[in-house]
Amino acid sequence: MIKLKSITKRFNQFVAVDNVSLEIKKGEIVCLIGPSGSGKSTVLRCINGLEVPEEGQVLINDTPLIKDDEKYTDLKLKMGFVFQHFHLFPHMNVLDNLTLAQIHVKDRNETEAKDIAMKYLKRVGLEEKALEYPSKLSGGQKQRVAIARSLCMNPEVMLFDEPTSALDPEMVIEVLSVMQELAQEGMTMVVVTHEMGFARTVADRVIFLEDGQIVEENHAEEFFANPKSERARSFLNKVMH
Amino acid sequence: MFVAFEKVFTLANMIYLFKGALISLMIAALALFFGLILGIIGASAKRSKFFLFRWLGNIYVEVIRGTPMLLQILLLFAVMPAMYTAITGSVIRPNVYVIGVIALSINSGAYTTELIRSGINGIDKGQWEAAETLGLSNFQTMKLVILPQAFKRIVPPLVSEFITLIKDSSLISTIGAVELLKSAQVIGNTYFDVMSPYTLAMVFYLAMTLSISFVARKLEGRLAQSD
Repeated sequence: MIKLKSITKRFNQFVAVDNVSLEIKKGEIVCLIGPSGSGKSTVLRCINGLEVPEEGQVLINDTPLIKDDEKYTDLKLKMGFVFQHFHLFPHMNVLDNLTLAQIHVKDRNETEAKDIAMKYLKRVGLEEKALEYPSKLSGGQKQRVAIARSLCMNPEVMLFDEPTSALDPEMVIEVLSVMQELAQEGMTMVVVTHEMGFARTVADRVIFLEDGQIVEENHAEEFFANPKSERARSFLNKVMH
Repeated sequence: MFVAFEKVFTLANMIYLFKGALISLMIAALALFFGLILGIIGASAKRSKFFLFRWLGNIYVEVIRGTPMLLQILLLFAVMPAMYTAITGSVIRPNVYVIGVIALSINSGAYTTELIRSGINGIDKGQWEAAETLGLSNFQTMKLVILPQAFKRIVPPLVSEFITLIKDSSLISTIGAVELLKSAQVIGNTYFDVMSPYTLAMVFYLAMTLSISFVARKLEGRLAQSD
């Protein structure tokens, strides 16, 4: 489904992602973990073209993701993206947030778009908030709306960039449980997260990054029970209490 | 000082001042409108990926903001008829109101360019990214996501710009336009008392600017509903 072939991404002199290769199969749930500044978010952003690596190749269903290529938008639409800070459109109510791209990108008519929007709002448990503005929602609700907004575009894979890092602790669980449901339904997911509990129970595979490189890659169970590298071990010691 | 006030304060004079005020208001409103169009063009030029457009946009803004408005009006008053003669070969007596509107529009456009540009730049980069991940094109993102939000930020300074234009429209009295200030001067010359008509002109200016501020505050409250 997704293949990264030795990608390198620099910001000025700083090498954020250093020669990273990985493959994500359909239906797989992969968590990217590591200390801050390790390049995990940048890897995720390279997958859907928000960042363009200077070297290497990003392949979606074996088609290279290249800006200005005719297939670019189609490839991007196969991927939903959920941001740490939600990025809902503040000038529209929740329903309009969910129908905007359906109408203007997928060419759905308004009724159809609204039906689909309500379906996904129901799924994240927020159908009664359809006519509220984002400013009236809590962080957890905003993030669930953002997830629903992505799902409306029927992506084949969902990319999550620290989806719970900006939330108050009591709201983390509502977002994680929505994600867990998605996982159970067989959605392919790549998740950058600091939620080790989530990674351990939901992920099929965990990729540990440091300094822009993949240090360790393993089944989730195996990784948490018995990390091979010293760096992964010391990281886990710091974050698991 | 105010000895002639009763003499000046007649219905006919008040109507004369009122007409002057309407002209000031009209000129300011037209300049705001055309200035807004120039501002949209200017801001697009300054955000363009083509160096030439950015360069032209910068020159426009810097030249206009860096020189006195009075000078711009006087220059246009001298240049326009000469250009007309150069192009058509015939001589015209320029309409000072038209020149006034053009000069004020060009001036306002430079300030509006910066208002719009900073309004757009002030929108969180995440909004562009979210729209991009949903497949919206740059143009769609600008139209559906960025501009509606930028508009809310632009409205309050645009209202101040309107108020500035009402006051600055008094400068075109120097090329012979009879707007509010000139009307007051005309009355003053008739009665050999400028204090009374000038004071009345102040009241008219304040009536216009304060009522615009009032409407603007109402409007801002309404625009802020989704915040």
